[in-house]
Amino acid sequence: MKTHPGRSTYIAQLLLSIALLLFLGLASACQRPGGQDLQSISLPMGYVANVQFSPFYVAKERGYFAQEGFDVTFDYRWETDGIQLTASGEVPFTVASGDQIIQARSHGLPVIAIAGWYQRFPVAIISLEGTPLDSPQHLRGLRIGIPETFGASYIGLRALLEVGGLTEEDIELQTIGYTQLAALTNGTVDAVVVYANNEPVVLAHQGVPFNMLKVADYVDLVSAVIASSDAFTADEPESVKGFVRAFLRGLSDTLADPDAAFETSKNYVEGLEENAEVQRAVLTASIALWQTPTPGMMQAEPWARAQDVMLQAGLIERPTPVDELFTNAFIEVP
Amino acid sequence: MPVSRGLPFYLLMGILMCAVWQIAMWSLSASARRFLLPAPTEVGLELLNLVSDGTLVHHVWITLREMGLGLLLGTSVAALLGYALAHSQILSYLFEPVIVVSQAVPIVALAPLLTVWFGPGIASKVVVCALIVFFPILVNVNAGLKRIDTRLRDLFSLYEASRAQVLFHLEIPAAAPAVLSGLKIGGTLSAMGAVVGEFVASTEGLGYLIKQGQNLYDLPMMFAAIIVLMLLATAVYGLLSLLEHKALHWERQGR
Repeated sequence: MKTHPGRSTYIAQLLLSIALLLFLGLASACQRPGGQDLQSISLPMGYVANVQFSPFYVAKERGYFAQEGFDVTFDYRWETDGIQLTASGEVPFTVASGDQIIQARSHGLPVIAIAGWYQRFPVAIISLEGTPLDSPQHLRGLRIGIPETFGASYIGLRALLEVGGLTEEDIELQTIGYTQLAALTNGTVDAVVVYANNEPVVLAHQGVPFNMLKVADYVDLVSAVIASSDAFTADEPESVKGFVRAFLRGLSDTLADPDAAFETSKNYVEGLEENAEVQRAVLTASIALWQTPTPGMMQAEPWARAQDVMLQAGLIERPTPVDELFTNAFIEVP
Repeated sequence: MPVSRGLPFYLLMGILMCAVWQIAMWSLSASARRFLLPAPTEVGLELLNLVSDGTLVHHVWITLREMGLGLLLGTSVAALLGYALAHSQILSYLFEPVIVVSQAVPIVALAPLLTVWFGPGIASKVVVCALIVFFPILVNVNAGLKRIDTRLRDLFSLYEASRAQVLFHLEIPAAAPAVLSGLKIGGTLSAMGAVVGEFVASTEGLGYLIKQGQNLYDLPMMFAAIIVLMLLATAVYGLLSLLEHKALHWERQGR
């Protein structure tokens, strides 16, 4: 009596497995490259639904995207996923931090920023009342909690340390995930790296006195942008111009009438009504970071500076020419 | 099929899968989709880099330590609680529904809270790991003890055996097959537990390498860490299977 499969069964299993893998591989290779659908597009936002995305919500609600031929669906996946999907041609645009563009480009991913959004770097370091933070030099000897040792938070911290003549050896850096406020109020750390338009607003709302050191007060680094791929910008420049135009109209309307933008955002962000007071304050703090006389335009210096910090931090091994990181070619100057 | 007899087949399958994967990546070399997956040669080179500079050994040790401590903690609590539930109908009535419902809480949502409560160090990772391995071991301990033939219990009672004698000469041997089965499942899950904890807040471990690889667009590093994690979980399962084989030799001899 046979107690286990014979050789012929093994061979059959082997051949079936090879056939399946070949099929999957060839199917993937034969798929239409790019995959962009200019009628209906998914826009990776890089974060959860939030009032900070109000320019996008306004642009969609007022039909600006539609007027340019886009039916936009907001996709709240991580930044890195959005960058990879854009580089691979799966989606035409993504929202991302400038440092992510630098990081991706250094690994050969062909993504480029097509419009600036945040004009001031939002990262800050906060401490409770008893821990002074009047200058970067005050960071010496502190236990500093940071979400991760990459990304905008880490670059902001490194930049501040550099301005203060300090290195990571002069502080006690603790990776605490996204638990900054709890870690700070529990006394696990002396200070935490945050976004100036988020955690500090929550603390202020709770009536907790705190000190804040803003990176943007000391060094100009590139922040959140809209990005696309080299291929899409080359093949569809008018579509890119149209998307940028729609976004900038949404941004302009938000800056002109924040209350209306907040009301619009309620259609896209769950829980906004229940937390209206603090979230309205988040929007106000965010708007302060978006203000500029030339909406969408980007400068080379913040990109170069951010890239230097990333090189020093070992996040990238070699620099990318700054003119490959961003372009203002799709921004219509009034 | 015994692993030793099937090993050449599994190795051949692995090599063939890598070959097909590499061919697929060559066919995508001119396509933008090449950024979605690294080639096996890139992953292999990254693996060699990580081994040669000692990075991999360090991170494997960190994760292994968390897995071991988490498994120990989870198994200890599960064994004690499983014993209590098997011997007390009241406790079973009170706690079993709570324990079952608690499993519906996604550990990924709990992990940040655990980091706040236990700090960003090893403690929070060990607790996450213990929580993940706890339930399958508890179920098996409870089931193993309840499945003991009542006639055997009666026999021990007839001979006026002490509680310790019942535990060591009846309950442990009788429940061992079920418990060791649960331990194998828990051992494999402990890898996932350690990585979930490292994803939330860490600067070391295979989960940290995976996260860094993803966020630095270093897909070869990310995949290298994933493959090592898979091998680690398989090795733990193999070790526990060996332990089961050795511990239950009397069961095979009795047949």
